[in-house]
Amino acid sequence: MKAGGIAGARACRRSALKVMAGGGFALAGAVVLPGLVRANSPITFGLTPVFLDSDLEIMALMTRYFSERLNHPVQLVKRRTYQEITAMLLSGQLDAAWICGFPYIQYRDRLSLLAVPQYLGRPLYKSYLIAEIDRDVSDFSGLRGDVHAFSDPNSNSGYLVTRHLLWQMQETPDSYFGRTLFTYGHRNVIRAVSSGLANSGSVDGYVWDVMKETEDTLVAGTQVVRKSEFLGFPPIASAAQPKNPVATKALAKALLDMSGDPLGRKILGILRLDGFVERNPSLFDGIARKYADIQQDGNG
Amino acid sequence: MADMGIVFQPKGWPLIFKVPALVVVLMVSVAVVISQLVLVKLIENQEQNLKQLTETYLDGVSTALMPHVIRQDSWETFDVLDRARDHYADIMTRLTLVTLPDGKVLAASNPKVFPIGMAVPIGVIRHFEKGRFIAIDEETGSAWASRPLYEAGQIVGNLYAEIDVSDLFQVRQNVLVTLVVGNTLLTLIFAVGGYVAVRRMVKPIGVLSDYVERFRDGVVEPISEEHIHDERTEFGKLFRCFNKMKEAIDERENLSIRLAEEEKLVLIGKLASAMAHEVNNPLGGMGNAIETLRRHGDDAKVRDTSLGLLERGLGGIANVVRAALVTYRGPGTPDRLGRGDIEDLKFLIHHGVTRRRIELDWNNKIFGNLAVEGSAVRQIALNLLLNACAASPTGGRVGFFVRQDENNLELVIEDEGPGIPPEISVQFNEPHIHSLSNQGGGLGAWTVGTLVRRIGGHVQTVTDSPPGTKITVTLPLAMKGSLADDGDEMEGDGKNAVA
Repeated sequence: MKAGGIAGARACRRSALKVMAGGGFALAGAVVLPGLVRANSPITFGLTPVFLDSDLEIMALMTRYFSERLNHPVQLVKRRTYQEITAMLLSGQLDAAWICGFPYIQYRDRLSLLAVPQYLGRPLYKSYLIAEIDRDVSDFSGLRGDVHAFSDPNSNSGYLVTRHLLWQMQETPDSYFGRTLFTYGHRNVIRAVSSGLANSGSVDGYVWDVMKETEDTLVAGTQVVRKSEFLGFPPIASAAQPKNPVATKALAKALLDMSGDPLGRKILGILRLDGFVERNPSLFDGIARKYADIQQDGNG
Repeated sequence: MADMGIVFQPKGWPLIFKVPALVVVLMVSVAVVISQLVLVKLIENQEQNLKQLTETYLDGVSTALMPHVIRQDSWETFDVLDRARDHYADIMTRLTLVTLPDGKVLAASNPKVFPIGMAVPIGVIRHFEKGRFIAIDEETGSAWASRPLYEAGQIVGNLYAEIDVSDLFQVRQNVLVTLVVGNTLLTLIFAVGGYVAVRRMVKPIGVLSDYVERFRDGVVEPISEEHIHDERTEFGKLFRCFNKMKEAIDERENLSIRLAEEEKLVLIGKLASAMAHEVNNPLGGMGNAIETLRRHGDDAKVRDTSLGLLERGLGGIANVVRAALVTYRGPGTPDRLGRGDIEDLKFLIHHGVTRRRIELDWNNKIFGNLAVEGSAVRQIALNLLLNACAASPTGGRVGFFVRQDENNLELVIEDEGPGIPPEISVQFNEPHIHSLSNQGGGLGAWTVGTLVRRIGGHVQTVTDSPPGTKITVTLPLAMKGSLADDGDEMEGDGKNAVA
């Protein structure tokens, strides 16, 4: 990686010199990043464990795509929890990150919204409550006393939505479920419910739908008990005051241009996304209200 | 069951079955012992390997589990157990289970069977009651292993693993089948080999048996050289001995033939002596006739009487000679016996009768010609009559009765003599040349016995039937009754008394 990074940096310098020699014209398909010419460290892009738990292929494609688009080495950074990625983003260790709507709302005054994935034509998704396939449950009330699997305490679909639902019922996870556990991954929630470790779980509806196509055997062990309303899709954000605004902006542009690039379309195809779009932060008001509800009640 | 009893009497089996059967028994015994040893060693090795693999597995999994168990994190614990299932190719786990110190399930690889919070089943714990870390359950084809999870000297949990060892049992089964099949094949090969070898080895016994069998049937042949491959072998020596025995038997037979020839010559001498004896019998009467002729030959009547006597004496001698010829010649076409043949005997014994003034009680009831050897019957009767006359005291009585029925001719000779010695009378029914005395005693009895035996009759002797001896000769007739075509006429009642 180190050797590749140095080689990539040298290639970037040569490319930048060519750009400068050419009177400032950009090379076709590449974003000119004059600020990066002096930088030796790669651009960092954080990923939360949506369903990319072990998908090395998609990570390699994204690395390649961003590096080519930015004409600069880009490093994808993956951590086990949302909190770790959010903390790295807020502390400036990441130029941008694909986070969840819940952390974005929690730290929206310190974060800047770069792009939002568009899924089935809309930048929206749902949270699903799932249960073991062989259980006879028709609604949320049937899940009382379960061993319930959450994805992450900072996940909107994997925690906040259910947490808010319980709030509306004047319940808490501890009071409603027999036992709760965090799997730190939507895919893991599905694994936990499908294997029987958990009787039910809170999971990202987009992840469940996509995995139904890609890993039907695993998803076949689960059933959807309840779907939430549409909520803002997990966004790509950067720190409000990024250390390298040029790189952050370049990353945002690369995301927004992804649907126009062959490699980008391949990535979007794997992720079953239409592309990335710019949206107003109000897209996440629904999540914000839920957060506000449980906060004002003092249960957060 | 009786048949089974016969079949399963190994002592009666032929050698070619006994030896292969013994080979089979030995091979099976050896195979059982070796198979047992192989299986025991195999099981030891398998269990040793299983223990090592299990130790390695438990070490790796427990290391990965430790931080999650300390935090009592069910998901992470499950995640480790779930991933470990695919990462240890040499260990095929059916179930892995982590419990907390309170015995409750923290996570299991199969949560549907062992959900979180469930108390560890007794069925799992009982495998480790004796402090073992691994226990093999042959019924389920699995091995149960356990490992306490220690952190800072404190037990934070227990790891249990049920490992699928059905492959080990399958290997044992395969080895057992291989051993059984292999040993069975080897046993069969050795049994067949033993059968062939023994059959080859005992083949000379069969040859010897054939020759002995033929020997028993009277055919004595030397064992052919083609069967005597090597004289150095036991059977070669045995065959040579057999052939030497055969030669000895041949020599003995030749000797016997020579002895028989010599005996034949002796017999001829005896026969000559017997003939002389028979010829001598009428010679006395004939001598008297000649003496009478010499003294009173001028008297025509005396001359005629004496010449008649001479004529009949010569006729008697001729009969004796003919009888001897018949006797020596052996049985021929049965001739006939007429009443006259019996009557002629009176003349032949006349001399003896008159000399000893014997009262002859003659009773001839033969009518017609009988199908019996007439010359032999005459010889028998003549011998017995002369003997009776000789044995009777002077002036004694001799009875002669001849009668017939449908099947037999019966001659009865009675005298008043002292009886016949046993060594003589035995000659009647068992004539034996060796019994004849060298002095010629018993020759008449021997002749009678020989002729009677040839005709197929028998002689009954009663001594002291008061007073004297009674000899009854019964001779079978070749044809029933008398022959009707001979036209012999009856001569009175056949009873004469000659003083």
